[in-house]
Amino acid sequence: MLPPAALRATGLVKDYRRGRAVDGVDLTVAPGERVALLGPNGAGKTTTLLMCLGAVTPDAGTVEILGHRLPRERTRAMAGVGFGAGYLPLPDRMRVIEYLRMYGRLAGLRRPDDAARAALERFGAPHLAPAMGTEMSSGQKTLVGIAKAILHRPSLLVLDEPTASLDPDIALRVRTALREISDTGGAALLVTSHNMVEVERLCERVVFLSAGRVVADGTPDEITERFGRDDLEGVFLHLAELRDREGALR
Amino acid sequence: MTEVYTGAAASFWRVMAVARRHGYVFQRSPHRLFDVVVWPAVDVVLFGSIGVFAAGRAGTAASQVALYLLVGVVLWHVVYQAQIALATGFLEETWSRSVMSLMVTPMREWEYVAGVALFGMVKLVLGVGAVALIAWFAYAFSITSLGLGLLPVAALLLATGWAIALFVIGLVLRFGAGAEALAWGILFVVMPLSGTFYPVSALPGILRPIGEALPTTHAFAAGRAFARGAPMPWHELGVAAVGTAVLLVVALAYLGWMLRVFRARGLVTRYS
Repeated sequence: MLPPAALRATGLVKDYRRGRAVDGVDLTVAPGERVALLGPNGAGKTTTLLMCLGAVTPDAGTVEILGHRLPRERTRAMAGVGFGAGYLPLPDRMRVIEYLRMYGRLAGLRRPDDAARAALERFGAPHLAPAMGTEMSSGQKTLVGIAKAILHRPSLLVLDEPTASLDPDIALRVRTALREISDTGGAALLVTSHNMVEVERLCERVVFLSAGRVVADGTPDEITERFGRDDLEGVFLHLAELRDREGALR
Repeated sequence: MTEVYTGAAASFWRVMAVARRHGYVFQRSPHRLFDVVVWPAVDVVLFGSIGVFAAGRAGTAASQVALYLLVGVVLWHVVYQAQIALATGFLEETWSRSVMSLMVTPMREWEYVAGVALFGMVKLVLGVGAVALIAWFAYAFSITSLGLGLLPVAALLLATGWAIALFVIGLVLRFGAGAEALAWGILFVVMPLSGTFYPVSALPGILRPIGEALPTTHAFAAGRAFARGAPMPWHELGVAAVGTAVLLVVALAYLGWMLRVFRARGLVTRYS
């Protein structure tokens, strides 16, 4: 029997007062697969991601994580999910080790300190363990956020703008570690990013959203070929231009 | 292989993790001492001195006023500390923008509430302990002299404090930062209506029915009766217990509703 998909979202729809944010999105991530969710601002990426994580309830559609249906089996599903976002801060009044220990406990780890130190080690940042949230640069905080996401060796790692505030050398270290986690640990990756080069290097599949719909789904090469562009950045700019044009017509 | 807890053990450690997180915040936030030590000290000195002044002017009849005020201030801080600890515990997550991160963990809502309430008990012991100590040192009033009968009254006030905090959390989920002021303000509406320091018959007629409907009114009345040496006022305690149970059920239902609205409207993005 095949293992369940890391993520299977079907027919997701979300309406806000300002209009439809997500319009019938289907998104499947296979075990161990590395997928990027891309699109210009307002394309519906964050809303899709939040629905896939159970933080926002879809108006229509279903979400299954590792075979567990949301929201009914949220606790079981989340036990297999790691989440990190470059824009989420660390609490001010906690040391990094305390913060990681807490999330390790929330994930059910018996030895959260060991896992925390191993995660920091993996990103070359063991020296950050005793640091307070207020003492770190935004890049270091991002790194700790990613360490938090991988603490419990999740089967699905969801990262929203994971390397947004990282220096190129640190971003490379993160990408390398994420590839390793996926290749050796078998974790599936769902990543959003505005860095197209990063996406091409890290992900084997790309899902492009525009105006709340999936407009392309395939390998980076397939997508660039389909849109007749040289690279993913060209596709991105093309979709952003279309969005602006449609906006102007309205 | 990553070893993990499952079932009740996992829940236990999640509750402890949340409690410990709030312990770190408390330990490193000196201004939090205002809620836990400074306001209790101010209250006991204020009401204790009014009671002593009244007793000195009017003799023995008024000495009961001093007793009412001191018992009232001790019991008031049970409900106040329980409410403020739980409500500001959740507010801490909104201030540190941790709501999103917490939602994407296996933690259940009740585990979170239990963790914050657990650390809230530590704050409650500190706050009520401060009140009791100052009352003892400054006014020779020993709360222990009242005996164990005060415990059920305190337990009901504790549960009422938690129920009010759950309402406040629901309002913050729905209305965001605009509802924060209620965390501190709501109990100052409840306090005079509950007859914390006086029988509810002292309220203006128009407010009496509201006062009578509050479970805190009956808990404070039971506390006063017990303090003046009357037999255990079972009727007042029973009314307070039923009222508190109803309040808790309504508060939990309201919080559940607000959580559904929070998720349906995507309000989590306020905190990310």
